[in-house]
Amino acid sequence: MGASAALDCDAELMLRVKEGDGASFALLLGKHRSAVVHFLYRMVQNQAVSEELAQEVFLRVYRSRESYEPTAKFTTWLFRIATHLALNSLRDGKNERNLEYLDDDSGEASNREAPDRGPSVEQRLVKEARLQEIRQAVGSLPEKQRAAVLMHKYEEMEYSQIAKVLRCSESAVKSLLFRAYETLRARLAHMA
Amino acid sequence: MNCPIKSHENADLLLAYCARKLDSETAGLLERHMELCPDCRAFRDGQRAVWNALDQWEAMPVSGDFDRRLYRRIEQEQKASWVDRLFQPFRPLFLRPALPLAAACVVMLAGLLLEYPGRVTVDSNVTSDAPRAQSAVVDVQPVEVEKTLDDLEMLHEFNAPARAPGKTAKSM
Repeated sequence: MGASAALDCDAELMLRVKEGDGASFALLLGKHRSAVVHFLYRMVQNQAVSEELAQEVFLRVYRSRESYEPTAKFTTWLFRIATHLALNSLRDGKNERNLEYLDDDSGEASNREAPDRGPSVEQRLVKEARLQEIRQAVGSLPEKQRAAVLMHKYEEMEYSQIAKVLRCSESAVKSLLFRAYETLRARLAHMA
Repeated sequence: MNCPIKSHENADLLLAYCARKLDSETAGLLERHMELCPDCRAFRDGQRAVWNALDQWEAMPVSGDFDRRLYRRIEQEQKASWVDRLFQPFRPLFLRPALPLAAACVVMLAGLLLEYPGRVTVDSNVTSDAPRAQSAVVDVQPVEVEKTLDDLEMLHEFNAPARAPGKTAKSM
């Protein structure tokens, strides 16, 4: 076990799970549930599918408890499982997902009931249109670029960690991110 | 400072700057460079716009029964028989639509091979006479093969003097 892994509090919790401590698993779940679901939601852009995949992620973590060795940061391992499942899901049912994604947007819009003193209908429609544009811009990125951007932007991961999750070199991650942000700048720069 | 865009070496510096991940010293150097470099300024403005746009995309809250559903699945898995647990890693394979069909084809082919060993051959010119021709091939005896080879050898010997009469006369 390396020094960095020894300092990883999550890895310590996972080692306790390995010893049969269910409470430590609950702590890990509570700590990372939202991050994993949100990452998967932004990857597949479907709430139901993202929760289903997140359940599978934590189920795999629990299943692997007996063979767990803290060779890397816990979150690296966690996001590697999540990314793997998301990429498989996208490859298996791309068209289906895209249709659901369009349905989701309408559902999301209708769920937001306007409070009396909230934004006007026009403001809400403008906001929805902007969000739709952002989702489409991110959704149009190649899968690995999308995963890299989401980990960089929302999980604030370092290049080295993203590289470990995606199993590529740091320079490859930099290149992925550079190209991804270039595409996003072309599509979203007018939102400034 | 070399221009990060023109040098291509430090392009990630601009990304790190926009993500506010640069230390103050490097950020200061980059800011001074950007005052003079319109390309880097344009990059910074575009990247900030992207960053702000992505900030607006809030993820949906996680369902309230997420943990309950997960623990139920864990519980079900612990109750599952050892056979189920053994095949658990292969389960996703059976969810792929083409695989059950391919598996059925393999089983049928295996059944055919077991039922008719040695008779199943792959032939693109299959006609109505094919079964008869196949059985004829199967019925050929080794003695007949030897006889045919002897006949061929004899014909070869007869043909040899006819092709080179001079040489044959000398040798005789």
